[in-house]
Amino acid sequence: MSTRSVPVSAYRIVAGILTFVLAVPGTILYLASYFWGAWLLAGACAAYLADRVLELGRPAFFSLVRSALRRSAMPAIGIVAALLLGAAIMLATGYNPLSSYKALFYGGLVRGWSVSVLNATPLLFTGLAVAFAFQGGFFNIGAQGQYFIGVMTATWIGLALKLPGIVEIPLIFVAAAFVGAATNAIPAILKVKTGAHEVVTTMMFAYAISTLSPVFIRAFGGDPSHSMHPYASDTLPEAAWLPTFKSFLPEANYRLHIGIILAIACAVLVRFILRSTSLGFKVRAVGNNPMAAKTQGISIPRITAASLLISGALAAAAGATQVLGLDHRMYQDLGAGYGWNGISIALLARNNPIAIIFTSLLWGLLDSGGRYMAMTTRTPNSIIEIVKSIILFLLLAEMLYQRIGLSLRAAFSRLRRGSDARTGIEKEIGS
Amino acid sequence: MKVSGAVPPVLETRGVTKRFGRIVANHDISIRLEKGEIIALLGENGAGKSTLMNVLFGLYRPSSGSILIDGEEVSFASPREAIAKGLGMVHQHFMLVPTLTVTQNIILGDEPVILGHVLYRAARRRVVELSERYGLHVDPDARLEDLSVGLQQRVEILKALYREARVLILDEPTAVLTPLEVEELFSVLRRLAEGGTSIIIITHKLEEVMSLSSRVYVLRRGELVGERRTSETDAAELANFMVGRDVVLSVERGEAVAAPEPILRLEAVSVRGARGIPALRGLSLGVGPGEILGIAGVEGNGQAELCDLVVGLARPDSGRIVFHGRDISALSLKRRMEAGIGYVPQDRRGSGLVLPFSVEENLALGSCEGPPLCRRGFLDFRALRENALRLMEDYDIRGAGPEVSVSTLSGGNQQKVILAREFSRKPDFLLVAQPTRGLDVGAIEYVYRRILQLKAGGTAILLISMELEEIFALSDRIAVLHGGELAFEAPTSRTNEIEVGEHMIRGRTDRRAS
Amino acid sequence: MSGFAAVLLAPQLLEATIRLSTPVTFAALAAVVCERSGITNIAMEGIMLVGAFFSAYVGWLTGNPWIGLLGGLVAGAAFSLLFAWATVSLHINHVVAGAIMNILAFGLTRYLMMVCYGRQGTSEAVPLTLDHYRLRVPLLSNIPYLGSAVFNQTPLVYLSLISVAALAWTFARTRFGLSLTASGEHPMALETLGRSVYRVRYQAVLLSGLLCGLAGAFLSIENSNSFTEGMTNGRGFIALAANIAGGWQPVGVFLASLFFGLVDAAQLRAQSIGLIHLPSEIFLVFPYIATIVAVAGLVRKSRPPAAVGKDFNVEGGGD
Repeated sequence: MSTRSVPVSAYRIVAGILTFVLAVPGTILYLASYFWGAWLLAGACAAYLADRVLELGRPAFFSLVRSALRRSAMPAIGIVAALLLGAAIMLATGYNPLSSYKALFYGGLVRGWSVSVLNATPLLFTGLAVAFAFQGGFFNIGAQGQYFIGVMTATWIGLALKLPGIVEIPLIFVAAAFVGAATNAIPAILKVKTGAHEVVTTMMFAYAISTLSPVFIRAFGGDPSHSMHPYASDTLPEAAWLPTFKSFLPEANYRLHIGIILAIACAVLVRFILRSTSLGFKVRAVGNNPMAAKTQGISIPRITAASLLISGALAAAAGATQVLGLDHRMYQDLGAGYGWNGISIALLARNNPIAIIFTSLLWGLLDSGGRYMAMTTRTPNSIIEIVKSIILFLLLAEMLYQRIGLSLRAAFSRLRRGSDARTGIEKEIGS
Repeated sequence: MKVSGAVPPVLETRGVTKRFGRIVANHDISIRLEKGEIIALLGENGAGKSTLMNVLFGLYRPSSGSILIDGEEVSFASPREAIAKGLGMVHQHFMLVPTLTVTQNIILGDEPVILGHVLYRAARRRVVELSERYGLHVDPDARLEDLSVGLQQRVEILKALYREARVLILDEPTAVLTPLEVEELFSVLRRLAEGGTSIIIITHKLEEVMSLSSRVYVLRRGELVGERRTSETDAAELANFMVGRDVVLSVERGEAVAAPEPILRLEAVSVRGARGIPALRGLSLGVGPGEILGIAGVEGNGQAELCDLVVGLARPDSGRIVFHGRDISALSLKRRMEAGIGYVPQDRRGSGLVLPFSVEENLALGSCEGPPLCRRGFLDFRALRENALRLMEDYDIRGAGPEVSVSTLSGGNQQKVILAREFSRKPDFLLVAQPTRGLDVGAIEYVYRRILQLKAGGTAILLISMELEEIFALSDRIAVLHGGELAFEAPTSRTNEIEVGEHMIRGRTDRRAS
Repeated sequence: MSGFAAVLLAPQLLEATIRLSTPVTFAALAAVVCERSGITNIAMEGIMLVGAFFSAYVGWLTGNPWIGLLGGLVAGAAFSLLFAWATVSLHINHVVAGAIMNILAFGLTRYLMMVCYGRQGTSEAVPLTLDHYRLRVPLLSNIPYLGSAVFNQTPLVYLSLISVAALAWTFARTRFGLSLTASGEHPMALETLGRSVYRVRYQAVLLSGLLCGLAGAFLSIENSNSFTEGMTNGRGFIALAANIAGGWQPVGVFLASLFFGLVDAAQLRAQSIGLIHLPSEIFLVFPYIATIVAVAGLVRKSRPPAAVGKDFNVEGGGD
């Protein structure tokens, strides 16, 4: 009896604190290649699950777990199927899929884990950028351009101002976000005023910005006659570099910077904005049914602008993080593909900011593992691009699963009791 | 099943059942159609009439049962096969391509071609010839979107005749027609029947059944509940069949308090419609507190524009809208909402609700700016939940919890969500458009009761409906919108359905007389 | 200033305009066919890229650019069928499916570069390009100014002009054109008349794949002699804009493509004769800016097909 008198909420508070206390260092340690951090993460998971059990009660919790498992079955099947298809392609073109995949996962998860994390950092930002626009019903296909804008802004301010890092770094982030948002202001205005589709306008901006980037690099010390390729701007002063994990975890890779922590924090923030703020609520309402949103007094132009501007800011933050954390200068052409990959990551995560943390890490590890694979097995790492698009394709083709499921079920029932006139999903016509 | 005579019926169904997953849309339905006969298929919305027709037309395959044509069992895999067997269908929502010409629409799918090249001249000749033979006159070169609804329907019928249909199925053919057009349609159909075409008309309107068909089948909840010769029955009996009990739609209206000053006034408002054509012309009207003004009229006479104008989705080209003595013509929809204007839109799923959102989120739509549901830009989840639970209780919203997506609710419950949201803001003025379209009788009664309750609380209500019955059941005053003008206005007690119907067709009789 | 006018009026500029607009014309026609049937196709960039690769590869293997062209057509068609399957049969959102197809195309061509040539970047040069078959139309090419520009062109340039006329005729006069229009304006109407919307849309996407294949072949084996990764450079999206600016009509779209060709030709010429001393990149941006301006300026002028980009789902009837 006495144990019952302790209110459940007290246990829940303990579990909540425990989750947080274990998850934060666990994540940091794991990301910094201290793989024993996984134990802390496992502990955090256990504490979190315990909290959920206390919150929901056992039956509700287990039904939730079941539905979560069922939901994650499809992505898992999709990823495995995509890897198998990729293997088939490798076999057909004369490469050994087994050793290639071994190298891919060894390289991505163990050997080059820090590179995976480095790759995932800008992807997480661009993924969030694309997802935020998607939530409002817009397709920011030109995140690439805003990424470059972020790179340029960071390079420019980093080279122009000589301030202490504690001031300069936040300043650069704010400026990059601002300029990135401003870049998207033109597509937003065109969308609102003329109805020009953002797919065309943001894409054209992206091409224009990439095309112009050499001009910028030359203006900041880049020398095309120099043998170095790709050519690059001058290097930023060290004061403007993002701190590295090595400064507090000596065994971490020397290049690994805290950008990934910023990115994860940003994902949590975006989730909070979308779920818990009035702005996010309105963005989602417009994304799901603009007409109903409009009829309820939500300003479509304002929400269009908000979601495209925030999207631009997030994509520019990706560029700033890359310059301040890893490159410390602007390279020509480097970072091409962060925009497109951001689209993949957002789609794969179904625009859920928390899921984007994981999909960007998946993409990051496929990239770094792919490079390791190309180095050690001579399998071209562009096979990874193919595998990635197959994953996307399979995960978005829900219909495919329904079809397969239906035909399997039909086959079963036919086996069981002769033919059954099942015609599949029929849509009500007319009314 | 008795086989009557030597000539088998043109069309017959035997025990047709159609299931969608677990829902049974049609259960064991057997009907029969003789040559040159007009039969009616009567039933409420959702009784399964359209499903049955789509089964007949090859768009759906029956789960069990069989279809016979001329006594021969058939199975249609697609509409093409149904067409080949002589079936023609006039859908409720026209299956016409607005940007194509009349000729193109008629021949689409069955074009006279040589090597893929359409012989438009020959096609046009056939269309002209057909329309003359059946007296269905229509310009073969007109673009479809430039035609009136009545003419568009004519094109639909011509489409079927072009394919030499022996059986013509018309789904709710009168829903969008003016009474005059209805008469014309009926005489065309009678002529076709005399020429040997068999016709099925699907409807929920009793008068049409009585005036047109020789036999009638009544459907209720997917089942056939009765078959009668029209000459041997009357409207009351059919209504009973249809609803399963006596229809009681007469709600106690209560007396309107004669208000000295209207809360909302339209003063000589004009606006252009989608294609630049004047949609409202110098419209003036006013609604006072505790009063319901019903706007009757055939669809497409300016109702949509009137809604947009009053709630603030559009601005008038001239004239002004006055609310509480203040000109609000330039105010945004949001400001008008804040000032106390509520809106129950006609298109529930299109502009009333965000379907993937939960009930509680839909109830919070439009209140996501400030307290009580929102504080300093953050949603208050507890307040959201409490708000939802309270409103679900008050408005008897059933079928799901507050966290469940509204898309899973029935039409009636979805409408209740909208009513709850709008009514709970305690508007001074409410615009209600087609509040009961597609609802079952129980839900209709409930919606009427709530609207009258709101009125009793002193809200001024503008009701827009294409159903005269609804207008008469609720309104204190009735106005008729015709061609964007106010054709008629009178207190309900001093007019009747005949007079209002007259104005719906003819517009302003005083001007026409002069 | 007179120098500037001379640049703009030179027959070379007109010649270059027509030549440079060719890939955009093909792709824009592909967009017209797709969108008129109700499919939004942003995968054209990728389909073009795949077409360009296979044209160059097959052309290099066989030494015959015509067989290379055939390779590009087949590859474009095959790749577009995948897109049709995704959008029509699997009901994936058109824009999303298009984005995935583009990603796949970039990855696939990069991979195939390694598989087929063992290197990245630019492929081996084809021994013979279609440019070799430049055709001077007798008599017509003697027309002053116009003649040398229009009637002394390479095969695919002529084919693009023929395609414009053929498609205009298709939409105006043929059963296929009528079905396409109906499928994009009111698919259910077409379905209830017994013609399968799925089939019409598959045909439309397939045709657009062939057109994109031609556009790709033009880039790799007519206008140049090899395939370069990412060589389409946003032309698929420019074509999308040309389609909007041209009002979903073959002839209008052709004029819009000519405009983009003109911008491209003008920037190349301005660059080459060095009239204005600016970094060359500034000129390269012109087509992109022109696209934005064209889309923003002309988008309201015409009406897109009513059902474009919307999924059509009917089971029980149709396929």
